[in-house]
Amino acid sequence: MNLPTDLQTAPQGWADPGHPAGEDEERIMFLEPHQFVSDRSIAMPPARLSRRARAGLWLLRIFALIVSLMVIYTFIAQLH
Amino acid sequence: MSVLEEVGSVAPAGLVHEDVVRSEDRARVFDARRRGRRWSLAWLLVGPGILAMLGENDGPSMISYATTGATYGLGFFVPFIAVTFGMAIVCQEMCMRVGAVTHRGYGELVLQRYGKVWGWFSAGDLAFTNLVTLIAEFVAIRVGMAYFHLGAPVAAGLGVALVLFTMSGGRYWRWERIVLGLALFNGLFLVSAILTQPHWGAVGHSLSFAPLPGGSFNTVLLLLASTIGATVTPWMIFFQQGASADKGMTAADIGHGRWDTIAGGVLAAIFGIGALIAGAALLTHDGATVQGLAGAGFPAALRAVSGGPAAALFALGLIEAGAVAVLTISASTAYAAGECVGASRSFNNSPRHALIFYIANVGVALLAAAIILIPGAPLLSIALNANVLAAVLLPVALIFVVILANDRALMGRWVNKRSTNVIAIAIIAFVAICGAAYGIDSFLTTVHLI
Repeated sequence: MNLPTDLQTAPQGWADPGHPAGEDEERIMFLEPHQFVSDRSIAMPPARLSRRARAGLWLLRIFALIVSLMVIYTFIAQLH
Repeated sequence: MSVLEEVGSVAPAGLVHEDVVRSEDRARVFDARRRGRRWSLAWLLVGPGILAMLGENDGPSMISYATTGATYGLGFFVPFIAVTFGMAIVCQEMCMRVGAVTHRGYGELVLQRYGKVWGWFSAGDLAFTNLVTLIAEFVAIRVGMAYFHLGAPVAAGLGVALVLFTMSGGRYWRWERIVLGLALFNGLFLVSAILTQPHWGAVGHSLSFAPLPGGSFNTVLLLLASTIGATVTPWMIFFQQGASADKGMTAADIGHGRWDTIAGGVLAAIFGIGALIAGAALLTHDGATVQGLAGAGFPAALRAVSGGPAAALFALGLIEAGAVAVLTISASTAYAAGECVGASRSFNNSPRHALIFYIANVGVALLAAAIILIPGAPLLSIALNANVLAAVLLPVALIFVVILANDRALMGRWVNKRSTNVIAIAIIAFVAICGAAYGIDSFLTTVHLI
């Protein structure tokens, strides 16, 4: 019985000794290649946002922060 | 070559327990699909969409709908609730699709694809709004329990006990089925509405979209913003994408994921309108002055007008709505925490191997439970402002959903259609305008500038 031993490729769980390698091969048929825990632990490469997109995101972020502060201030003022 | 192909695949060198449990769930899906068992397949794939939508029919949302009904009657808001759930379906479908195609949660994709700054901003928004919303959920449980003469400690204890119980099985499937079972009791609001014996002709007539109600401009803005915040929120985005990935959904399941999301939206709209109709029973009985949530609140006011059964069902509905939302919002916090620190984030893993996930899940519920034990807290105000804050912070979260759903390197042929993008951008603009209008108007009023 060959147990899965390579825990370095599976850092986010524990190898399951209750399921021998033969069963493993059967099981992987039901998971897509990128569905495994070991695959999901590999970071996606960064994407590049255009300068205009970044500016838009920062504008939206600042806008949301300011309005949030207004709502919080109003909430606190109404408590008094 | 898609980004998923670019990062490569290292499996199956070592299957871990989480993989094994997920593959067992997937085997049942494969089997049902192979044998052409349509209902069985639908049963296996239903979950994240209904849970996100009925989870958002939470305590503050139902209080918000009932407040609206008690203040303005049915008029404008019955069709408005239906429209906001239409908006929610568009947003949540994108989350489900991204989760099913990439098998990854929202937080980790934003963090990895667009940088740590945006990832941590998203997580920060979520942590803040989730904590405030969770407090409001415990408030709702407390309000419901107060009707049965049970105090705040029981409400706090029940919420935390439910979180501990549902996560105890070490399987996503078990957690999902328990919460789904609980979520169906959201229908109590509809039964309560029927027991108030509304004028159904008036309900039907309200669907013709009456003009905005009169009264204080600021109050109308508050109710508009809180109604939007009651249907689409940042936690739903994290939750549905994370849960779709945790459930093991794939691109082949997107069709079922869409029906799951639509079914959730329709059910949530019907039950939400039920709460509005029940609240509207108080309209001619000084309903706008119902403020005593720390004591009896809506259920007690409803008992005086529509009798004990309607009131008791409304109170039970509030307990259910709060409890289900405590479970789903805690889960979304846990998914986000695991994604942002790169730790295991699955109900299919044990607490020993997904420590951060489980600590975040229980910890945020415990913190919120502790806060409602503070005597004299302004409960109605917390509940309504929780929704408004969610609406204000939502546009930033939504814009990243749109960016991810258009990321061809991630999504391949599953990217957004042009029509989806147009609708999504219109929703973001609408939500931003409503949230900002209330925030700015109430701030200027508070500092006496208008």
